[in-house]
Amino acid sequence: MRGKPIIEIENLFHTYMKGTPMEHVALKGTNMVVNEGECIAIIGHTGSGKSTLIQHFNGLIRPDSGKVIIDGIDLSKKRIDIKALRRNVGLVFQNPEDQIFEKLIGDDISYGPFKLGLPIKEVRERVKWAMNMVGLNFEEMKDRQTFALSGGQKRKVALAGILALKPKILVLDEPTAGLDPKSRNELLDKIKSLNKIENLTVIFVSHNMEEVAYLADRVYVMANGKDVLSGTPIDIFTDKEKLQRYQIGTPETVQALYRLKDLGYNVDTSAFTISEAADEIIKVLTNGEVENHGK
Amino acid sequence: MASEFELSRNITIGQYVPTGSFIHRLDPRIKLLVFTILVLAIALNTSYVGNALGLLLSIYLFWVSKIPVSYGLSGIKPAIPFIIILAVLQLIFQGNVFSGGTVFFEYGFILITSESIRLVIVSAVRFVEIILLSSVLTLSTSTTELTHAIQSLLSPLKKIKFPVHEISLIITIAIRFVPTFAIEMEKMMKAQASRGADFGSGEWWRIIQRTKDMLPIIIPLFNIALSRAEDLILAMESRCYTPGNERSAYSVYKALVGDYIVLIIGLLLSLLLLFYPFPY
Repeated sequence: MRGKPIIEIENLFHTYMKGTPMEHVALKGTNMVVNEGECIAIIGHTGSGKSTLIQHFNGLIRPDSGKVIIDGIDLSKKRIDIKALRRNVGLVFQNPEDQIFEKLIGDDISYGPFKLGLPIKEVRERVKWAMNMVGLNFEEMKDRQTFALSGGQKRKVALAGILALKPKILVLDEPTAGLDPKSRNELLDKIKSLNKIENLTVIFVSHNMEEVAYLADRVYVMANGKDVLSGTPIDIFTDKEKLQRYQIGTPETVQALYRLKDLGYNVDTSAFTISEAADEIIKVLTNGEVENHGK
Repeated sequence: MASEFELSRNITIGQYVPTGSFIHRLDPRIKLLVFTILVLAIALNTSYVGNALGLLLSIYLFWVSKIPVSYGLSGIKPAIPFIIILAVLQLIFQGNVFSGGTVFFEYGFILITSESIRLVIVSAVRFVEIILLSSVLTLSTSTTELTHAIQSLLSPLKKIKFPVHEISLIITIAIRFVPTFAIEMEKMMKAQASRGADFGSGEWWRIIQRTKDMLPIIIPLFNIALSRAEDLILAMESRCYTPGNERSAYSVYKALVGDYIVLIIGLLLSLLLLFYPFPY
């Protein structure tokens, strides 16, 4: 299932506000490779350079030094087709609902496709597809007012606005921050199906380890402007020593399993998806070891 | 190229740069008073020499405050178009206002004399001086200090029922939110650029089109400003802010000898700029 590399980043440096008293080095030699069709999570504390890194993906920020190749486009070159790059890489910012500016949902989602200069029929098709992908009914919702929507629905509209560009790579900065649990789960499922069914390469930044465990094929951990750790969620969440060194949280399932193990139960701590963890716990319960140990 | 969207780098008003210099440590009331008088004096001086002096003074003040002059100069960049437009308008239309001087050029209503050229050059330089001076003031003074200063300088007006506290609060909030909205605008431009928007690439004479291009930024920005205002109201009310109440201050300022010396030097410089008959 691994495709060829679609994003290659090597020794990337970036400094904000160069030449002012507020100068700040955000990236200090980051490396990253993303293959086509993968779902990558980027985790790390505030100020570790995650947002700076993902803004390189569609050329909002150009590299100060180092190599950035996105879908065959070398960003360190001066003259590049920035529009083609932004068409191929859909970047969804934090709180994307802020960027909605049209009165009607359909109009807002069609902004991007119209900017591409597509004929109206194609635009309509894309808006329909995008709304369908995020779970909004086209006929019912396209003429609704944007300001009357709930937070979760607004975020879906904003996501549809990016999807309507039909990007190959979808980049999301904390996609579920500030959503209620129901909207959060819905959105995660949509992202998963975009990755698995529509074959979009997905890269997302998150602080929520449950999300990371649920979605990601691979995880990159950022600290102080560098990638310090990468691997599958199992690799990351079972490496107790490094988890502590970089102060990375783990999903609650992993925490529960570790605590069971500490109490002397024989559990597999790498079973971090909810259903696997549940199986492990059931196994412990049915083995009748509860009476022997217990606290 | 990397700074395509870095708006905040060109906004120097409202950013506090703590270097701990002598100017930073001045009593904010005296600092504000001296700067106000200096700006007034510069605004009224019409001679070449006087304005050259003012320019040197503002650059010197940057040096004293240990803030790079280049940083102050970058604050002038956004104002350059206005300075140029102003200069052109003055050159064309102001010739008849000031009589005297040598006539260089006359055609129809356009009259260019040595006096109108002086006006053009002096007002451009004056503009730069005023931006530099106000930048030094805001870069070296935190907004809290500025509020206290404005409030205490205006407090005599309370006698005539002037809403001193409210006005100083309005000024503080306005200054405080300039960089915040620059950052928000930066984010919004990036977000819309990610959706295929492009700014400033249309021909400049198609003003309507270019204005329409800005709508995807302006509308969300208004929304953000309104919700920020609401947040601010809640934050203030939850800390029991009551308009019109008598309030005491956390920090009480006491002017020291150094502050008074600065005040006297500032006054003398202003008097010099105002009344000394400069030869040019």
